[in-house]
Amino acid sequence: MTALSIFFALLFYAAMAVFVVGLVCKIIQYSRTPAPLKIPTTPAPVTQTGVVLRMASEVILFASLFKSSKWTWIFGWMFHLALLLAFFRHLRYAMTPDSMLWPLVNLKLIQAAGQYGAYVMLIGLLGLFVRRIFVDRVRYISAPSDYLMLILILTIAGSGTLMSFVAHTDIVQLKAFILGLIYFDWQTLPADGLVITHLGLVALLMFIFPISKLLHAPGMFFSPTRNQIDNPREKRHISAWGKAIDDAEAKMTVD
Amino acid sequence: MVFFCKYMHKLVTLAGVSLLLPLTSQAVDLMPVIPKAKGQQCVESTDKMRRNHMEYILHQRNDTLRKGIRTPKYSLKKCIECHNAPDKDNRVAHISSKQDHFCSSCHTYVAVKIDCFECHADKPKKTQYHPTSREGH
Repeated sequence: MTALSIFFALLFYAAMAVFVVGLVCKIIQYSRTPAPLKIPTTPAPVTQTGVVLRMASEVILFASLFKSSKWTWIFGWMFHLALLLAFFRHLRYAMTPDSMLWPLVNLKLIQAAGQYGAYVMLIGLLGLFVRRIFVDRVRYISAPSDYLMLILILTIAGSGTLMSFVAHTDIVQLKAFILGLIYFDWQTLPADGLVITHLGLVALLMFIFPISKLLHAPGMFFSPTRNQIDNPREKRHISAWGKAIDDAEAKMTVD
Repeated sequence: MVFFCKYMHKLVTLAGVSLLLPLTSQAVDLMPVIPKAKGQQCVESTDKMRRNHMEYILHQRNDTLRKGIRTPKYSLKKCIECHNAPDKDNRVAHISSKQDHFCSSCHTYVAVKIDCFECHADKPKKTQYHPTSREGH
């Protein structure tokens, strides 16, 4: 076992802890944030099923973004779709061939789409990056973190693409390392520059995820303009703390 | 991040418990069992072969097929003769056997499909498949 392997094993346990705990904390925080007003953006669905469908169209197709900016939509959607493909392709490193999900992971379609999805991801990210630089009103509101986040993800995607198409690593040993993390039986990490860059930056991404703009992933579901049913007349909208005040006042009038 | 402070003691307990997990987790074969080759020395170092064997074979294929260049160094036939050598009964493994076939042992492990053997033989000439080595038989 090399010192590098031990360092990366510890790094990933720390990154995973921060990622999971941070994300759970944020989701708890979002779920407790009051939404005192009924503010679904109209035209809005009038039933719960409708809200689920609306949310699905936002999450899967980025419907609002499509309506507001076609260029941002095409690049953003390309990136996120490629991210999904990359996720499925990377699953092969985290499970053994006797896993229940293996037939899915092993599909040639998943592996091939995941591999060529790399280009889709890079084009999407580059498009979003160019947008920040060349669209005046977007450049005006762009903070350093906006650029840095794009550069971080671009470097992760770039190093991964290079490993897939240009300078290969020992993926059998790499998989052993990843499985070793999962089964608490540490294995050696192949010491290639690209692997170290790729994994190191992924760990960095996990560390900063819970305090970054990437929280739009869980945050999306807590957006009151999208997750509320348009029924203000049929049903009174009242938050928990509002109800407490109501009840107290009602009690006072009775007294 | 107020929640961090609020639940800190619980988190510390959780972290402590998770450190004990290695004691309870069961042993799993983390590396594939790779059948041994017949020869002593490959055409390149193990490190190079593990990373780039597909490039060598692919380039060889294009050079041989399109330009007629046939060099003995990177020859799939030679790979197979050494890595899927027959046992004393002249039996060899079938490509579908992920335990016994050299190529499949790793390729199954990392979900990489190989198309070499759609055309090429996965065994040396004049050998027989081991009767149990075909998956699903």
